[in-house]
Amino acid sequence: MPELGRAALIVCLGLAVYAVVAGAIAARERRQRLAESAQNAVVASFATALVASLVLLVGLVQNDFGLVYVADHTSRELPLGYTISAFWGGQEGSLLLWLLILTGFSAVAVLLARRSAPTLLPWSVPILAGVITFFSFMLVAVSSPFGTQAAPPDGAGLNPSLQNPYMLAHPPMLYLGFVGLTIPFAFAMGALIARRSDELWIVVTRRWTLIAWTFLGFGQLLGAHWAYVEVGWGGYFAWDPVENAALMPWLAATAFLHSVMIQEKRGMLKIWNVVLVIGAFALALFGTFLTRSGIISSIHSFTESSIGPWFLGFIGIVLAFSIALVVSRLPLLRSKTRLESPISREATFLYNNLLLVAFCLTILWGVLYPILTEALRGEPVTVGPPYYNFFLKAFGLPLLLLMGIGPLIAWRRASLRGLGRTFVWPAAVALATGAILLALGAGSSIPGLVGYTFCAFVMASIVLEFARGTRARHALGSSSWAGAFSSLIGRNRRRYGGYIVHASIVLLAIGVVGSSAYDTVAERELRPGQTMSVRNYDLRYVDNVTRRGANAQELRAIVEVSRGGERLGTLEPGKNRYFAEQQVSNEAAIRSDRLNGEDLFLVADQIDPDGTLFLKVLVKPLVNVIWIAGFVFLGGALIALWPDAREQRRLAVRYGGREALARA
Amino acid sequence: MLAVFLVYTSFAGGTPQVRPSQLNGRTGEITLVGKVVAPVQRSGRTIRFRVKDIDRTNAARLPVTYTGSVPDMFKVGRDISLKGRLRNGTFVGESGTLVTKCPSKYSSKES
Repeated sequence: MPELGRAALIVCLGLAVYAVVAGAIAARERRQRLAESAQNAVVASFATALVASLVLLVGLVQNDFGLVYVADHTSRELPLGYTISAFWGGQEGSLLLWLLILTGFSAVAVLLARRSAPTLLPWSVPILAGVITFFSFMLVAVSSPFGTQAAPPDGAGLNPSLQNPYMLAHPPMLYLGFVGLTIPFAFAMGALIARRSDELWIVVTRRWTLIAWTFLGFGQLLGAHWAYVEVGWGGYFAWDPVENAALMPWLAATAFLHSVMIQEKRGMLKIWNVVLVIGAFALALFGTFLTRSGIISSIHSFTESSIGPWFLGFIGIVLAFSIALVVSRLPLLRSKTRLESPISREATFLYNNLLLVAFCLTILWGVLYPILTEALRGEPVTVGPPYYNFFLKAFGLPLLLLMGIGPLIAWRRASLRGLGRTFVWPAAVALATGAILLALGAGSSIPGLVGYTFCAFVMASIVLEFARGTRARHALGSSSWAGAFSSLIGRNRRRYGGYIVHASIVLLAIGVVGSSAYDTVAERELRPGQTMSVRNYDLRYVDNVTRRGANAQELRAIVEVSRGGERLGTLEPGKNRYFAEQQVSNEAAIRSDRLNGEDLFLVADQIDPDGTLFLKVLVKPLVNVIWIAGFVFLGGALIALWPDAREQRRLAVRYGGREALARA
Repeated sequence: MLAVFLVYTSFAGGTPQVRPSQLNGRTGEITLVGKVVAPVQRSGRTIRFRVKDIDRTNAARLPVTYTGSVPDMFKVGRDISLKGRLRNGTFVGESGTLVTKCPSKYSSKES
């Protein structure tokens, strides 16, 4: 069986190399049949990746410990779901997942582009194939999942903290995001090589970018929730290099999603857009390199992987090639339209982009700082959350404000009087909210208060947009307000889907501000029977118990929770000691208040044999709004993604011919 | 822009990561990075253990004392990082800064 897997990967590599060479020659010599053959090779590479993946999957499910990978990451008593998730639980398997998704996406992109953008395909195919070549090469020569050994009686099992339903969703979702960014990159490069300077590549890959961005964003939220409930330190994001690795490409992609609108509307920012899409793709590669090579946590080890240099080399090649290409096409990309006014929608989008990119670079700097200082001073210096949080506020708050301004401000040039009229209502709502919150005590954190005020501003402007649009449709003859509302969204999915996504970001901001600027932390040593109070909660430590779970011994502290004299229930924070893996895990207890979104978070730091409990209590206001934001985010993105026949026809008129008539 | 980062990070900054063998009596606040060595003694919320370089080339063993939450993964043989400073030959760790590194490729777990 492993031989089949290895063979499939070798064939994949062969197909990819063929597609690169044949595709490039076909594009150069304009040989249609050869071009089609290269496209077919890309599609076929998916089939081989699928075969290899199935081999690994079967090996996992059958507990074939003759496969080193299976033995290293599973065990006989591991439940089936986690056995499957072990596919991407280790280095080699996760690379295979990457290849599977890459070839899958490439195949679909190629097949769809045959109808929607045949002129872009010839050069995009070798680019896609080039990326496939790298990953299949890694799997064949450097990091193969099909190494064999004499089968041991049982496997090593999966790290207990990974034995969580999130393990089934979070990594694959992130990979769908990372890999998805390859498609717009390939088509952008393909367009450049073909000396095109129009927006066809943007239009054709718009949904790919949106899908990738959505998966990347939602995947990160899943990861944050997982960390929150499982690792249990009371937080959901620690600015760890691995977390930053996913955030950076997401920020670049967010900037890109906005700046392409400017190119579509006014033909500006062409160079910027190409640079952004290269940046997003390169950051996705860099992100996975960071996670795998262990290079950042400490140069001197924490890893035995030799995979780093290969990734670095590939990223270098990608950057060198793309930058050279952009430089050589600069005259073509120079836009003829100028920015007319610093107070206009174009300008707002530009500021939005600058802030997003600045924040992304800040994070990149923070991530690379240890490497740089080590090279210069001989010892690595790390930067911590204070650095990142400072810039999050410095860049995030203005971004929030811009989110409210952008959708309402006029194109080209906004007059000050026009601004006054447009923003008087949202500004009034914001100031009123700010004043009320100040009276309620939100002044304890100035950035927090500012954040809430801006959130109110943005929400008001979003509501205003929906209201005005609905009223206009109603005036145009829709039968009911509800009908007007739904047809408004139905006819402008991109715009109103986008507004809903903005609303989700506002919710995210509210949740983040509430749980970080206005939280409370307390730690106490308690003997059985003692009580501690945090905010308006009273917590009485009753006793501790030890239970035997399915695969762990569970030690729990029983804590009674009351508020204002009313009993709210019992929380049982504690520890699990896993039999097979010989590891202890922290089991935090969380009580979520349905009415105000606040969490009471209990961590049993230590439970001594004599019954003494070291309890850490966190009160996190509004934290649950973050998770709600995730669903709103998905909903908005889905609406923006939804196929739209009317939009297709409009694009067909713009780009002419069969090109855009088919599904973008 | 870059200038702003440079200025900020060099002042507000970061803490150097130092291995036990490199410590050499420096008393400033640093992040100690090393591997936990037996024995580990606990009294109340304080643990006492020793740390050595992660790559096995150096035999220096540094005594460490730490009071605060200990992450689940902490045990002998694990790689850790801990912020603190050297006092009278023992490294005293700051509460809440003990981080263990997972042996797998996934991120570290903190408390």
